[in-house]
Amino acid sequence: MATQWTRRQFMAALAATGLSVPMPGLMAAPGGKAITRPIPSSGESLPVIGMGTWRTFNVGGDQHLVRERTEVLKTFFESGGTLVDSSPMYGSADDVMGEALDTLNAHDQVFAANKIWTSDGGATREQDGASRRKWSIERFDLQQVHNLVAWEPHLETLKQMKADGDIRYLGITTSHGRRHRDLAQIMEQEPLDFVQLTYNVLDREAEQRLLPLAKERGIAVIVNRPFQGGSLFRRYQSEPLPGWAAEAGCGNWAEFFLKFIVSHPAVTCAIPATTKVKHMEENMGAQYGDLPDEQQRRRMADYVAGL
Amino acid sequence: MTGVDWFSYSLSDFLMFGPEVFLRLFVRINQDFWPWQGVAVVMMLLIAGFLVRGDKLAKRAVLLLLAAAWLWSGAGFLLEYYGPINLPATWFGWGFILQAALLTVAALVWPWDGNAARPARRWRAGTGWLAMTGLLPLLMVAQTGNWQAIALFGIAPGVTVAASVPCLLLLPRRVRWLFLLLPLLWSVFSAATLWTLGTRLVFVLPVATLTLTLVSFWFSPRPAQSPD
Ligand SMILES: NC(=O)c1ccc[n+]([C@@H]2O[C@H](COP(=O)([O-])OP(=O)(O)OC[C@H]3O[C@@H](n4cnc5c(N)ncnc54)[C@H](OP(=O)(O)O)[C@@H]3O)[C@@H](O)[C@H]2O)c1
Repeated sequence: MATQWTRRQFMAALAATGLSVPMPGLMAAPGGKAITRPIPSSGESLPVIGMGTWRTFNVGGDQHLVRERTEVLKTFFESGGTLVDSSPMYGSADDVMGEALDTLNAHDQVFAANKIWTSDGGATREQDGASRRKWSIERFDLQQVHNLVAWEPHLETLKQMKADGDIRYLGITTSHGRRHRDLAQIMEQEPLDFVQLTYNVLDREAEQRLLPLAKERGIAVIVNRPFQGGSLFRRYQSEPLPGWAAEAGCGNWAEFFLKFIVSHPAVTCAIPATTKVKHMEENMGAQYGDLPDEQQRRRMADYVAGL
Repeated sequence: MTGVDWFSYSLSDFLMFGPEVFLRLFVRINQDFWPWQGVAVVMMLLIAGFLVRGDKLAKRAVLLLLAAAWLWSGAGFLLEYYGPINLPATWFGWGFILQAALLTVAALVWPWDGNAARPARRWRAGTGWLAMTGLLPLLMVAQTGNWQAIALFGIAPGVTVAASVPCLLLLPRRVRWLFLLLPLLWSVFSAATLWTLGTRLVFVLPVATLTLTLVSFWFSPRPAQSPD
């Protein structure tokens, strides 16, 4: 990815110059034009729904399941998705992603996001290289320090890697509402392109400090655990959607949960994970149509809290 | 900066895969190993036969066959199939290989006395063990509803460990504890995994193994009680 410009990078660069061209993949997707958000540090557009791989892509050498996950990824791309998030912590997910990208010949389509997850602060480049080889890509678009593990040395190296053109963006992640105070401090002091954190209709602590801070500092926000690891469905799927959900652009619970997240003005994208093509189709629906406004968002949160 | 707040984690935060991937490991290994399952069945029958025979040579043979079962399930199931989706399974894989080495040493060098239990007792030990080791693999079949998922002794680690613990009573208590450490760790690890996966039927296996292992630490068969 480093030496040759991919179609997506070319489009992104055009967009950054103020010129806009329709992306063929997005035009083919259902439901009209995909909702995108600019990455504040570059202006490059990102579709608001990305894809996570925790648990879902850790299928080892099971070729039957590798084929199934490849179909999920194919549906994601066909629906206009680009950002895929993984980590060396996710078992065989990096290997499986590499196989799926090879099968689909989709290295050009993916906005590749990975993480550095090692307490050895000197192993940043080594781990980045290992993940890159698994994905068969020349560089990651985004490399993040996973869960703030040894974040100081890793971030220093990531800054150097970005300057050398070995990655395009750098960031840092947390989840489950952990270490928000530490994250806020890092966001205030460091030149981050991205942060990744947990935010969903029930876990809303990020609204207090982190999301406004990201907006103020021009940091893109990736939202993990948008379905609280699936428990939002287990709790609410049997409940009816409110009558006014359609006005807020939501035709099902997946869209309800995801549109609540991506309609926050500080959020760049959400990265739901799934093992099923049908669920991927539902999730990608949140990338199209109307988004709820501020008042509707409040109503959505109140509705779920009242169930 | 604060450190890691371990109390904010739950067991499911450490589980890196879903039940489908785990349960399919058994189907996959059986498909790939076919028809070598026959060897596992022969090993089972031989162990039962040696338990019935019960002399010094038979005891050595039982431990050698157990060593083969630990080696096979460790190097096969744990290192090749389970390890790629769950790092601790790789550590257990090497542990199983070490246990196989220990069992081999015990089989070759342990100076057993020549006493054998009464024939009726040996018969009960052999047939009881065979019934248990023949039935336990069916738990996985019941869990998945798929015969191809059968978890045979020598191939599946859980059944291998469960079937080994009663045989370890052949060893005197003063050395037995060394052979029970890995069964203990395995049962705890396996119980935690299966509980979190929500596979309640096969969860019974590590819980039963754990109970049996704990009892075996202290159980001291008098000659008349001995399964040998
Ligand atoms: N510290 C970090 O950096 C960190 C921490 C946590 C997560 N993450 C990232 O964030 C991603 C997302 O978080 P997550 O995977 O923990 O949880 P999640 O996306 O909130 O939930 C995933 C679960 O939701 C279910 N699901 C998805 N779409 C569905 C639909 N339309 N209908 C019904 N069920 C649906 C999936 O089951 P099915 O397979 O049945 O669809 C899966 O069990 C991760 O994959 C990972 O990439 C990062």
